[in-house]
Amino acid sequence: MGAPEKSHTSLNSMQRVKVYRLNDDGKWDDHGTGHVTVDYLERSEELGLFVFDEEDNETLLVHRISSNEIYRKQEDTIISWRDPEQSTDLALSFQETTGCAYIWDHICSVQRNIHFTSLNNETFHSDNSELRELPAVELSTLPLILKTVVESGIADQMRLTDLILHDQDFFRKLMDLFRICEDLENIDGLHMIYKIVRGIILLNSPQIFEKIFGDDLIMDIIGCLEYDPEVPHVQHHRSFLKEHVVFKEAIPIKDDQVLSKIHQTYRVGYLKDVVLARVLDEATVANLNSIIHANNAIVISLLKDDSTFIQELFARLRSPSTSAESKKNLVYFLHEFCSLSKSLPMVQQLRLFRDLMNEGILDIIIDALQSQDKKLVLTGTDILILFLNQDPHLLRSYVVRQEGIPLLGLLVKGMITDFGEDMHCQFLEILRSLLDSYTLSGAQRDNIIDIFYERHLGQLVDVITASCPLDRNAQSIGKSSGSGGRVQEVVKPEILSNICELLCFCVVHHPYRIKCSFLLSNVIDKILLLTRRREKYLVVAAVRFVRTILTRHDEHLISHFVKNNLLKPIVDAFVGNGNRYNLLNSAVLELFEYIRKENLKSLLKYVVDSFWDQLVKYEYLASIHSLKVKYEQCQENCGAKGTVSVSDPRKRIDDRALEKEEEDYFNEDSDEEDTATASMSNSEKAQVHPVLANGVAASYQTSSPRSGGLVDYDDDEDDEDYKPPPRKQPDTDEDEGTMESLRLKRKLSSKDKEPELSKKQRLGKNSKSKDSVFAALCSTLSQAVLPSKKTASSVLTTPHTVDGDKSSGEENHQENEVAVSRSCSEKSSRDENHRENEPAASRSCSECLHGASDNRQLGGEDCPLIPPKSSPEMAVNGS
Amino acid sequence: MSDLDRQIEQLKKCEPLKESEVKALCLKAMEILVEESNVQRVDAPVTICGDIHGQFYDMKELFKVGGDCPKTNYLFLGDFVDRGFYSVETFLLLLALKVRYPDRITLIRGNHESRQITQVYGFYDECLRKYGSVNVWRYCTDIFDYLSLSALIENKIFSVHGGLSPAISTLDQIRTIDRKQEVPHDGAMCDLLWSDPEDVVDGWGLSPRGAGFLFGGSVVTTFNHSNNIDYICRAHQLVMEGYKWMFNNQIVTVWSAPNYCYRCGNVAAILELDENLNKQFRVFDAAPQESRGAPAKKPAPDYFL
Repeated sequence: MGAPEKSHTSLNSMQRVKVYRLNDDGKWDDHGTGHVTVDYLERSEELGLFVFDEEDNETLLVHRISSNEIYRKQEDTIISWRDPEQSTDLALSFQETTGCAYIWDHICSVQRNIHFTSLNNETFHSDNSELRELPAVELSTLPLILKTVVESGIADQMRLTDLILHDQDFFRKLMDLFRICEDLENIDGLHMIYKIVRGIILLNSPQIFEKIFGDDLIMDIIGCLEYDPEVPHVQHHRSFLKEHVVFKEAIPIKDDQVLSKIHQTYRVGYLKDVVLARVLDEATVANLNSIIHANNAIVISLLKDDSTFIQELFARLRSPSTSAESKKNLVYFLHEFCSLSKSLPMVQQLRLFRDLMNEGILDIIIDALQSQDKKLVLTGTDILILFLNQDPHLLRSYVVRQEGIPLLGLLVKGMITDFGEDMHCQFLEILRSLLDSYTLSGAQRDNIIDIFYERHLGQLVDVITASCPLDRNAQSIGKSSGSGGRVQEVVKPEILSNICELLCFCVVHHPYRIKCSFLLSNVIDKILLLTRRREKYLVVAAVRFVRTILTRHDEHLISHFVKNNLLKPIVDAFVGNGNRYNLLNSAVLELFEYIRKENLKSLLKYVVDSFWDQLVKYEYLASIHSLKVKYEQCQENCGAKGTVSVSDPRKRIDDRALEKEEEDYFNEDSDEEDTATASMSNSEKAQVHPVLANGVAASYQTSSPRSGGLVDYDDDEDDEDYKPPPRKQPDTDEDEGTMESLRLKRKLSSKDKEPELSKKQRLGKNSKSKDSVFAALCSTLSQAVLPSKKTASSVLTTPHTVDGDKSSGEENHQENEVAVSRSCSEKSSRDENHRENEPAASRSCSECLHGASDNRQLGGEDCPLIPPKSSPEMAVNGS
Repeated sequence: MSDLDRQIEQLKKCEPLKESEVKALCLKAMEILVEESNVQRVDAPVTICGDIHGQFYDMKELFKVGGDCPKTNYLFLGDFVDRGFYSVETFLLLLALKVRYPDRITLIRGNHESRQITQVYGFYDECLRKYGSVNVWRYCTDIFDYLSLSALIENKIFSVHGGLSPAISTLDQIRTIDRKQEVPHDGAMCDLLWSDPEDVVDGWGLSPRGAGFLFGGSVVTTFNHSNNIDYICRAHQLVMEGYKWMFNNQIVTVWSAPNYCYRCGNVAAILELDENLNKQFRVFDAAPQESRGAPAKKPAPDYFL
């Protein structure tokens, strides 16, 4: 590039201006049209505005830019000023607004520089600094170089950059000088060199960066930057980089280019984050980041394409002769490798992760997760998170494979493991991501969710039960270990809180599964044990869990709450909290508000009926008061409708009492059918009839599990589930599986109960409620069966059920029901261990029958309180 | 010196805590914050501070102007994180002070104390950069969920980060918010953290922020009257003079991030209330460059790639 002469000004329209001068008459005279530039005035280091005639290149205007505020910009195309030297008013009228803005910015920047210079050492003002060439690099010229670098206006920066780049020896000489100064302890010189180097970096030129970050220069450059005059102590960046930083070579890298890039990346990062952290402007930081980014991409792609490298990596990871220590380093290496791959283009990233998976990286992680070394375990999880961020499907597809199954278990285990002071919230994060139903696709989702619910839900719940006092009073006695019977396991409260959070997540994402699982094994009761914990945030977590379930608007879950008095622990916690206005207080009040606003009538009734004595002293709180008001309104409404519909409010209270008697009766007698029938009022009987006709009990009686024409689904897999429990058919062992697994679940759950309860397992309260749950599922089934049976005119809503199920994902209540039944049986059908023989199956059937009748009771009771739209079952009952 | 005191000293030097210390601190903070109410009662004298936004050194200026923490009773109106370079140190220092002196400092939640917002405006990236993982971010954002939503000083001054909500006409209605959640996209909790008073709006208007509302003078008059409060004190909006009264002294905005984003050129203010609720605004500038200490980032001492 030749020395830029004035002619270098490309004659473009941006620079095209008309020059005007105000004459004595107060009028603007046109002094010609030309091109404007900002340049050095002759034999001066001051800048001026030049306008050269567009035709003959004559100088139309020369004006030294003043530091005074004399310039005005008008209408985006005119810059005017009063020239103090010529004492005339001048104006430039621009052809284009951008040109005007450009020159205006220039003027401002020149003014700033003038101010800056005048503030700084006057000694730097010398006449020989024209930016035509760089000064020779010598100790004596350092001030001049510095001045050139830091004082060059925007206009000159490009020129300066060019000059620096074209001077092959500039940096070598500067670095020589630096070493001399350092040897001589010439602090002034070192400070100047610091400023020069900093100034050059701030020129933000990628070409200069390429040069100074080269292997031969970068350490010296960093050395120069140790001498910041504004920092009282000399920094020791080089010794840090040379002596403290360890480049770990888990696998020897043979490619020099790769090695050089790796080191450069670290050093540039260090420069950016440490050495110049508070000096750099955003644009420079962005350029440095892009260097790092590009380097990472080069390194990763060179390494990943080096098949011998990858093979050696995995061979070492697998080899039994590799020491534990170097295996650990290899895993750390893998983590960095995966982490840096973010710099690759998306497609390549995906391919890389897929390749790594095929090489067996996840098996390696499974090993890592089983390590005693917590840091290694956490590194394993970090890699998993990288996989999930990249493409969740990759990890999910692995988890459902045979060899991947242990992974889910390890993650659950990790989540409930005490990592001491280390953070381990990643486990929760990964599990959430794996179980996320919004992003999961069909088969994968069902598989993962199945595995999780089958194998791990109980495990998580058990941690909670084992960590909470069995007895409410245990809390007040103090947390002395095991004074009252069972020894409380020492599980960190944060782990309990994480479990609760995961379960809330499950409620939102797997409404079908949780319904099935929660109802069958009293999960909700157990989670609510958290209300007995001393840590209030755990009590609050339990409240939120309940609140999340209620959001589902699921009638079965709601009646489960009512039947099992599940809000008692919540109300107890609320009352125990007294008048304190804290998060617990707010959370419970919000729960009540929700019940009221969403018109969850059965809950409303249950809460007021059961707890009003306790709540009445809080009636001064608006939410409590309005709960009562709403309750009374409901009662009145029901009373008004009483003539048309079944039971009046008073009677329903009686029903509740009746139900108690009924329970007692159950506990003594075994004739379930009779009991159920006996406890039914006439009107209920009438209501229930359709259920009998179409429901499980009916099917059972006819004992025709699958009369082909009756159930005619397209989707065969789905209807496998719900044949009612058959007398026997050789090909229906899946159904036996279903029954058996349900039964086993009951057994499992009852282990936790007091002995006298489990003694009467089949008829006792517990089993009863479970049966009713099962009945609910069965009746759900009957709903699912109904649509194809066109005679069921009373259930007009049900055809949706089947369609809705296929277009799964919606939160329609009706769909939920079907899906619950589906997933229940799917789960069990997959569960090979739970195969059963005839007697057990038929016993389950009888339970089922019992349950069905029990459910009728339930339905009849709840009917008037439930809006008809909310459940197909109610549509049947209420008709 | 207890661990906590030592950590406070360390944080005052703008050195972040170790992951394990953050974890322990957060767990302690959780136990304290869970006991606070959605409208936290605060006694005078108290000094009210607006947005900080990770401008650690400017917050140190704030403490210079306002006095050190246990000596001065503080109320911070949220937006501790994002935008500035030191969100981690800023928030952890405030949280450590909260744990150490629970009755002398009140922290309420701002719209930036949110998972979503911090992923966009810097806190997330800062945690990732300073700790190499986002665990600290997870812990801190979990704590955000526990922060109170507003404060009431001597029953007379209602303090909140953003402003009012059409769903809230009495302070009592704030009570029934279960605040332990990510800041929702709408509803009372969202509005409290997102709304702005606006001169031109009479009644309620749509907010250009996409969350919360604009509310006019009449809304404030009604609210103050029905809740028997003197005025509302809020933050959330940059005001070049550090504070700004609106609607005939019925609401004041306090902004405590001088030279916001290190380039807005504004001054900051805090509002000191004495035991009789007499007001004094203290205006302060950004910390001078030289008082800003050494860079906080300690690079990993080893690397594979």
